[in-house]
Amino acid sequence: MTPAEVRAAQQEGAAVLDLRTPHPFAAEHLEGALSVQFNRADLVDRVEMVFPKDLPMIMHGEPEAIGKVAAKLLSDAGFNVQGHLEGGLKAWKEDGLPVVQLPSLDVDELKERLDEFRVVDARDPFEFKYGHVPGSGILSWTEAWYEADSAEDDPPIAVICGDEIRSVLVASILARKGKSAELVTGGMVDWVERDYPIEKGMD
Amino acid sequence: MAEYQEDKLLDARGLLCPMPIVKAGKQMRDMEDGQILKIFATDRGSIVDFPAWCEDTGNELLKWSEEDDGLVFFIKKVEEEEDW
Amino acid sequence: MIFKQFRYEPLNQASYLVGCPKAKEAFIVDPIEGLGSDFYVLEAADLGLAIVGVFETHVHADYVSCARELAEVNGCPHYLHEAAPTTYEYTAFADGDVFSVGQVDVTCLFTPGHTPEHTSYLVTDKSRSEEPWAVLTGDCLFVGDVGRPDLLVGDQALDVMDEGERAQTQFKTITERLFSLPQHVEIYPNHYGGSLCGGVNMSGKVSSTVYYETRYNLAMQKPDAGAFAEFVRDTAKPLPDDYEKIKSYNLGLIDKADLHGAGV
Repeated sequence: MTPAEVRAAQQEGAAVLDLRTPHPFAAEHLEGALSVQFNRADLVDRVEMVFPKDLPMIMHGEPEAIGKVAAKLLSDAGFNVQGHLEGGLKAWKEDGLPVVQLPSLDVDELKERLDEFRVVDARDPFEFKYGHVPGSGILSWTEAWYEADSAEDDPPIAVICGDEIRSVLVASILARKGKSAELVTGGMVDWVERDYPIEKGMD
Repeated sequence: MAEYQEDKLLDARGLLCPMPIVKAGKQMRDMEDGQILKIFATDRGSIVDFPAWCEDTGNELLKWSEEDDGLVFFIKKVEEEEDW
Repeated sequence: MIFKQFRYEPLNQASYLVGCPKAKEAFIVDPIEGLGSDFYVLEAADLGLAIVGVFETHVHADYVSCARELAEVNGCPHYLHEAAPTTYEYTAFADGDVFSVGQVDVTCLFTPGHTPEHTSYLVTDKSRSEEPWAVLTGDCLFVGDVGRPDLLVGDQALDVMDEGERAQTQFKTITERLFSLPQHVEIYPNHYGGSLCGGVNMSGKVSSTVYYETRYNLAMQKPDAGAFAEFVRDTAKPLPDDYEKIKSYNLGLIDKADLHGAGV
């Protein structure tokens, strides 16, 4: 699909799945795009756990080969794939279409500014129970698509997970729903490595 | 450090977070109490995922390490005891 | 770090991925057209890594490279030593330059002989140690053998250095630059087994160590550069088919269509 076709489909409700790694996504992505990092082994399983099967989807991979392969994998699995973005981010920008950033902060900055954010943990409940950032709440990655609308974003949300795969996904869903969300880079792995305080349990 | 002898091997390299846990859970269901599962993973999130998962399921994380080609975990299956 | 060797069996060629899971970035070294640009793109993506640099140890004469295409589709630099005589643009580096992905350093170790621009890459995983643990030796040093010095085409140096001189340079390079590395350093070559880029003693094994090759690499047991040059000439395999055509393509002198399927 050309950038203009992708934009038109987006306006009809199609979701662009950005298949790149978290950092390039945070730096710059198509407005409204959702971050779902590509791999061949389990892309289908993950998408199945997050999105409804009838959601119209468009793939954005860099290089383009990734978008093509993802489109094939997901449509073979019965997803409503409309195509992939041709020419990538470069062509999109050349056509003057909107790109946005996902603001991000590392765990050191999060610790410094903890009271300025509502920290949301994107992992599964058992992981959250085992140890999370004090005061944080849970918006599990498998629930996010359905529950993001009701998320409070004042103060803005900082999304964290183990590393970054699920946090960037949830942050991108929140942003698509118009919420103010930021990505915590390095995730709980960095938080724990620095011996920052941990809270256990469900509340 | 002691080396453990695995009964089953799970290659979760290339799986993204949290799929190594999902696959390990499936594998564990087919294993006997006390058997050891060795897991290869490349996703960095596994470092915090597997300890959490073990605490949740009662399985025992015997050892984990970072090798040149990724992360290696040894987990012993512990059957849930109803009464104790 | 993440380290992966890709073996292309039809040509006994090895290419490499060196990446950092935290930075989620990787370098590819010596990619081959036989596997193709998309292969590396998907392999890196499967590991959760974006390709941010494509390196070549030298301009190859025995297989078609896909480094230019791989760098282009990823929008990243194609790195070669500044002496590489290509007709296209690349990102030049000099001996000692260091490139990093996250915690992993790749240090350029100029190792001329097989070709005048040949460079080996020293790999250091700083998350574990400041000491290097591996060296990608390209066609300078193989397991059990050394790179042949007689496949030059289109290089300016062809005029200034004859085959014998290049063999002597090769001996000096291996002795002074590779065998002076710490003994534990692992060696990962560009070829193994039956590849025609080395001599008859090339092992089918796909890695070795500085310790082992210092002691048991037959060519390197020769007492001096002259004896070494003679030994390399006597143990050479036949010249690879179409090597002039392949090298011309890799230098940018001819188009892919002119290869007529050679070297893939």
